[in-house]
Amino acid sequence: MAQSANAANAGTEFVFNRTFDASREDVWNAFTQPEHLKHWWGTPGASLEIAHHELKPGGLFHYCMKFPDGRAMWARFIFREIVAPQRLVWLNGFSDEHAGLTRNPWVPNFPLETLNTVTLSEQDGKTLLTITVVPFHAAGEETRIFAGGINGMKMGFGASFKVLADYLAQRS
Amino acid sequence: MRDPLSSTFAALADPTRRAILARLVLGETSVTELAKPFEMSMPAVSKHLKVLERAGLIARGREAQSRPCRLEPGPLKEAASWIEEYRQFWEASLDRLEDYLRKMKPAKTKGPRAQRSKTKSKE
Repeated sequence: MAQSANAANAGTEFVFNRTFDASREDVWNAFTQPEHLKHWWGTPGASLEIAHHELKPGGLFHYCMKFPDGRAMWARFIFREIVAPQRLVWLNGFSDEHAGLTRNPWVPNFPLETLNTVTLSEQDGKTLLTITVVPFHAAGEETRIFAGGINGMKMGFGASFKVLADYLAQRS
Repeated sequence: MRDPLSSTFAALADPTRRAILARLVLGETSVTELAKPFEMSMPAVSKHLKVLERAGLIARGREAQSRPCRLEPGPLKEAASWIEEYRQFWEASLDRLEDYLRKMKPAKTKGPRAQRSKTKSKE
């Protein structure tokens, strides 16, 4: 189902699937409880410090990723839907230390916030996790940039993408 | 005022422009040649080429009247590596989640942990 949604919305939606050998409750807890989140969420190589975590609709999860070289990067979730243990929807964005939204540091015209949806379903004792990311309230320009960036190359080039990747690799 | 990555992504958001780039991967060619597979007027194709040129994704020869187009790999490579990072961010996060779930003690649902998250979680 996620795959067909992916194809139908090609260009505006970014979808990821993963199957975990764990119960749905455990995956849910790992995703929604600060004492678990700090062990795995965030950018690799950075340690996660949680300033605020309130799991309720409209609630804020505000955290800081601290890098070994001393840099710190703040980001936040605003929770929208919480249906334990199967569906979590939040607005995802970078922020400052006061939880005010900031631009993506690498692509300033990237949508300020994305709407992220995680669904968990049970399959033969395992848990299938699907994450969908779409631009939220983005202006036309931001939506186009998201589409061109996230899916443009991969989906648009289709079979040619391999050719393109090889071509780019040759030129390095 | 746009940053280079945003310009690249905006240019890539259009399927015709992606098709033009895909064609140019095969080698330099004239605008007439490029326009052939598209049911589109030359001015329409030229418009797309202008967007691609402004984004630095293609360069156009000065020599011949046909002004042949060729791919400029720099910005595409930068875009590809950013996209790869974005994808890897998610992959790496889910890898770490997978590792963590292996170490995490399974919640036997009715324990204190289940009570703590007692929102409206009736299925």
